[in-house]
Amino acid sequence: MKRLVVIGAGMASGRMLEHLFEADPDAFQVTLFNAEPRGNYNRIMLSPVLSGEKSYEEIVTHDDDWYAGNNVTCRFGERVTGIDRERRVVCGEHGEVAYDKLVIATGSSPFIIPVEGRDLPGVVSYRDLDDTNAMIDATGLPNARAVVIGGGLLGLEAAAGLRLRGMEVTIIHLAGHLMERQLDEAAGYLLQKDIENRGIRVITRASTKAILGKSRVEGVALEDGSVIPADLVVMAVGIRPSAQLAKDTGLEVGRAITVNASMQTSDPDIYAVGECVEFEGTLFGLVAPLYDQAKVLAKELLGEGDAFVVKELSTKLKVTGCDLFSAGDFAEGEGREDIVFRDPARGVYRRLVIERNRLVGAVMYGDTADSNWFFGLIRDGEDIAEMRETLIFGQSYQGGAPLDPTAAVAALPDDAEICGCNGVCKGTIVEAVSTKGLTTLDDVRAHTKASASCGTCTGLVEKLMVLTLGDAFEAAAVPPMCKCTDLGHDEVRRLIKTKELKTIPAVMQELEWKTSCGCAKCRPALNYYLVSDWPEEYADDYQSRFINERVHANIQKDGTYSVVPRMWGGQTTSAELRAIADVVDKFNIPSVKCTGGQRIDMLGVKKEDLPAIWADLGKAGFVSGHAYAKGLRTVKTCVGSDWCRFGTQDSTGLGVRLEKFMWGSWTPAKVKLAVSGCPRNCAEATCKDVGVVCVDSGYEIHYAGAAGLDIKGTEVLGLVKTEDEAVEYISALVQMYREQGHYLERIYKWAKRIGYDEVRRQIMEDAEARKAYFDRFVFSQKFAQVDPWSERVSGKDKHEFKPMASFPESKVEAAE
Amino acid sequence: MDAVLDKPVNTFIEVTEVWVPDGDRLVLDSGNYGTLKEFATISGQESFAKGEGLPGKAWGEARPVVLKEFDGSYFKRTEAAKAAGLTSAVAVPVFSGDTLKAVLVVLCADDDVRTGAIEVWTEKDDLLMLEDGYYGAAKHFEWVSQHTHFPRGQGLPGGVWAANTPMLMRDLGSGYRFIRSDSAGKAGLTTGLGLPVSVPGDKTYVLTLLSARGTPIARRFELWDARSAKVGSANDAVLADGICTREGPLWNDEKERRVSAWQGLIGKVLGSGMPIVERDAPGIPAGYSMMVGLPIYQGVELAHIVAWYL
Amino acid sequence: MNVMTDEWLDVGEISDIPRRGARCIRIGETSVAVFRTADDQIHALEDKCPHRNGPLSQGIVHDGCVTCPLHNWVISLKTGQAQGADEGSTEVYPVRLDGTRVLLGFRGK
Repeated sequence: MKRLVVIGAGMASGRMLEHLFEADPDAFQVTLFNAEPRGNYNRIMLSPVLSGEKSYEEIVTHDDDWYAGNNVTCRFGERVTGIDRERRVVCGEHGEVAYDKLVIATGSSPFIIPVEGRDLPGVVSYRDLDDTNAMIDATGLPNARAVVIGGGLLGLEAAAGLRLRGMEVTIIHLAGHLMERQLDEAAGYLLQKDIENRGIRVITRASTKAILGKSRVEGVALEDGSVIPADLVVMAVGIRPSAQLAKDTGLEVGRAITVNASMQTSDPDIYAVGECVEFEGTLFGLVAPLYDQAKVLAKELLGEGDAFVVKELSTKLKVTGCDLFSAGDFAEGEGREDIVFRDPARGVYRRLVIERNRLVGAVMYGDTADSNWFFGLIRDGEDIAEMRETLIFGQSYQGGAPLDPTAAVAALPDDAEICGCNGVCKGTIVEAVSTKGLTTLDDVRAHTKASASCGTCTGLVEKLMVLTLGDAFEAAAVPPMCKCTDLGHDEVRRLIKTKELKTIPAVMQELEWKTSCGCAKCRPALNYYLVSDWPEEYADDYQSRFINERVHANIQKDGTYSVVPRMWGGQTTSAELRAIADVVDKFNIPSVKCTGGQRIDMLGVKKEDLPAIWADLGKAGFVSGHAYAKGLRTVKTCVGSDWCRFGTQDSTGLGVRLEKFMWGSWTPAKVKLAVSGCPRNCAEATCKDVGVVCVDSGYEIHYAGAAGLDIKGTEVLGLVKTEDEAVEYISALVQMYREQGHYLERIYKWAKRIGYDEVRRQIMEDAEARKAYFDRFVFSQKFAQVDPWSERVSGKDKHEFKPMASFPESKVEAAE
Repeated sequence: MDAVLDKPVNTFIEVTEVWVPDGDRLVLDSGNYGTLKEFATISGQESFAKGEGLPGKAWGEARPVVLKEFDGSYFKRTEAAKAAGLTSAVAVPVFSGDTLKAVLVVLCADDDVRTGAIEVWTEKDDLLMLEDGYYGAAKHFEWVSQHTHFPRGQGLPGGVWAANTPMLMRDLGSGYRFIRSDSAGKAGLTTGLGLPVSVPGDKTYVLTLLSARGTPIARRFELWDARSAKVGSANDAVLADGICTREGPLWNDEKERRVSAWQGLIGKVLGSGMPIVERDAPGIPAGYSMMVGLPIYQGVELAHIVAWYL
Repeated sequence: MNVMTDEWLDVGEISDIPRRGARCIRIGETSVAVFRTADDQIHALEDKCPHRNGPLSQGIVHDGCVTCPLHNWVISLKTGQAQGADEGSTEVYPVRLDGTRVLLGFRGK
């Protein structure tokens, strides 16, 4: 009998032995080394053991009887110290064993991030039963807190298990959403919601700086300076193949042990299998390919030919109640098309990625019923052209005629619920429409309450009206925000508030976005709405802003930028002018010009010079003029009662005060102000977004003027007596606009849409409403009045301003 | 003969019965009364209006009800129950949406000797608090449980609440809200089955059955997933988890166990949407003589089935 | 990958580029924009819109395309072709990842 030595009793080698003994129990005399003091168990089921949903006994794959029955010499708990290929022996801690064939199945080891404190007691990785038991022990302390570093499969399973055992758990994750390798942003959002619903805190975009503690772990410090207390820290950031033994033995090793399709290493008598191998540049972490390898290796050892091939993989998460699935390649790209289906009521998201009539990727959350079928389509590369229209609905929909959405609504029974919020069913709506002669959506809303709350069923209600009324019904033509949704701006804004949606993925999921991550039209709009509605909670999504707002300067036609510092109320000093002159000289700025808003514009600035220019301007006391922003721009003034013989009030003073109070505020479109000291109106206040004309009796507030593509005189909002009132009324007006305006809609268009009377009623007549607007404006200013220039001088977003790398062309040519 | 040999002397639950609506009253559909013939006969003649007696109360109040003292209570069969040695009872309503499908009632005896727990948890201020529970002789554990609450995701009750699925716990003796698990370990409670009880309105109820080795609630538990979003068909169920003192783990990662409506006993629950109590029926696994199958609804959908065997 | 490429320039770490963003590589007079999509694909285009030479690196990245900051032309990151009704194209540079390093293929002029 030939001698087979196996190093490592994991799932791959275990499966290989099963195949081997099944095919020919007498082919080999087997010796099995394992560093762990136990045999093979189902490692991927450790998570339920951690949570208490399974016991260790249940996940043992091979017990003592199995090894004895197959005459396996077990050397468990013994490390292999070396392999002598000359003498063909494996050296264990307790002696040598000779082999004819050798299988290395050393698996992988957890990756430990190299931060200070990583060796403290209480810091564990999550790989084997001992780790699991250490974690279970830690849960036995009262009020124990755990931090899990890594929001991938393993980290999430660890977190859920520890939580079930009673711990307070925080997940720290480097990427923007959980399981970013397997899920897209939309599915990641749903997963995070599910995880948070378990009382687990999730911090994304968080980088670990150090693990704190004296004699044992006490907390985790993040790069942003925050500290999370912890009694247990679980590192679950990834694994790396254990290939050291093979390397020391002189076998060919890349990122892992290099094998051919027969699982043979560079030494023909030595094989490798499992997570420690690299095949055609690929590493393996999921169990399916390991089992394929095991099968190939068993055949190879018995002298039967077989070849390992890499197949598509799919992922599932073992957290009870989280149903997700992902497979294939779901990267965006040209020639690829997404089919997205969302059902916010059930928390369902499905995305299929199609390329050349083949399904190449699938991500599913909440409804994984057809996962195996989709996986099969991906793996087999089947042509799906025939069933493309209904593909997203899964296997059971196939074979029938393509679904006409109106026909589908027609087929609904009368008691089918159409409006979930108000519990209105189909029969009620149809009856109301036909008996009461309703012809508009608003009528139906008024009579039945259907679609009157959250409005996501509006499309369904409209289809019902088409069915009932035929041509007599014309859907109100609310233009959708963009191609990603059927909802208009108003609906989206209203739903963001009523459903308390606080992130872009949340909006897209709950409002059933038709694309997976939006477009260049809806992303900036949603970003503004969220900034405006949730000033305290929302973290600005930087990449959803246009370039001007990212670099805080105006892009010009040649790709250079212009810089406009704030001059409060259009006033300046010799020191400020000198500083500007110095900057112009120092940075060779080709052009300097006075703007229409009483400020100075430096044009032709190179992007990489921006931070240095701001630093110099900052030293002279300048802040950003936000001349690039959908936000408060200038406040133009005349000299007023200080100097002018006609001046009635201190118009300059009010202008400065308004600008200092309101700067930094983000608005749907730009907002320009002016204050004129008398009705002669030298500051041209009556064509501004908001203007003040001072009169003897006080301040006349104007708004909704335009002097651009459209020219329009302002509307009068009303007269107030004091400066304080002027500030309050103007802020309230702007806040009302901030809350109701469509993105990129100027004040004059907004006011026309809302009605001047309504604006006047709320701001001039309803003191309570005005006060509420004003308070919300003040609150949001707490978070908005940060000078973006000084922030960037101190290093924020520095990547925006420098090339990533520069090469002189000569060097490149020389290299060729 | 296995069944006789394996049968422990005492089980935690003595009687299990299913009451179903018939017009405006609840009538007995099926039951397992063991040797308590008298009580069985009397129960078969009984019926309950909404709000009447224990099953009627579970229906009327749309919540699981625990009753630990028959004397002087609304319990209608007090004399017969006392004659049979029964001392306590728990009634669990099964609703599909707003419609009552059935009421499952279990009755227990020998409070001072048998150990186990049947608990009803309900949400107050975003925490699960013990509404009521029957613990038999596990007095210390009862006291601890009355003073424990579970946030989302913690422990068996919090886990069931967060995941909105039934769960089967093997290891109640460590971790798991610390003091309660310690006490559970000392009381010999090993396996726990937790399940969400769906009722009309927005109240949250979680029912837990904690089984001890000496006086088990069951020696085999099965947990079936019947959600169409998971198993792909409204008429199928897939075994998601299970444990058996004879066969060991019942779950299999690689081989799916699936039944369709009306296929075997689980299929009967799936097809009828009703709980069942079966005794010596074909389809009960070898070594067991009794089976309870309970459908768990999410709204109007039959989402899961739990089954336990003795 | 371009067969013409015989020089791969190591231009930096992938983490230097924000997701859904871009960074510039200056090579002599030429500026190349290296894009990183939400799902970590890397693409490189000359930093010049075919319309009016707008710096594409400053645009919004979405759906495998970038929208030029000057006049909202939408350019495919993969082919450099203008999308929709607009016509024109921008030079595409070969780019690949080696681990976390970004390598740019450059042929000179």
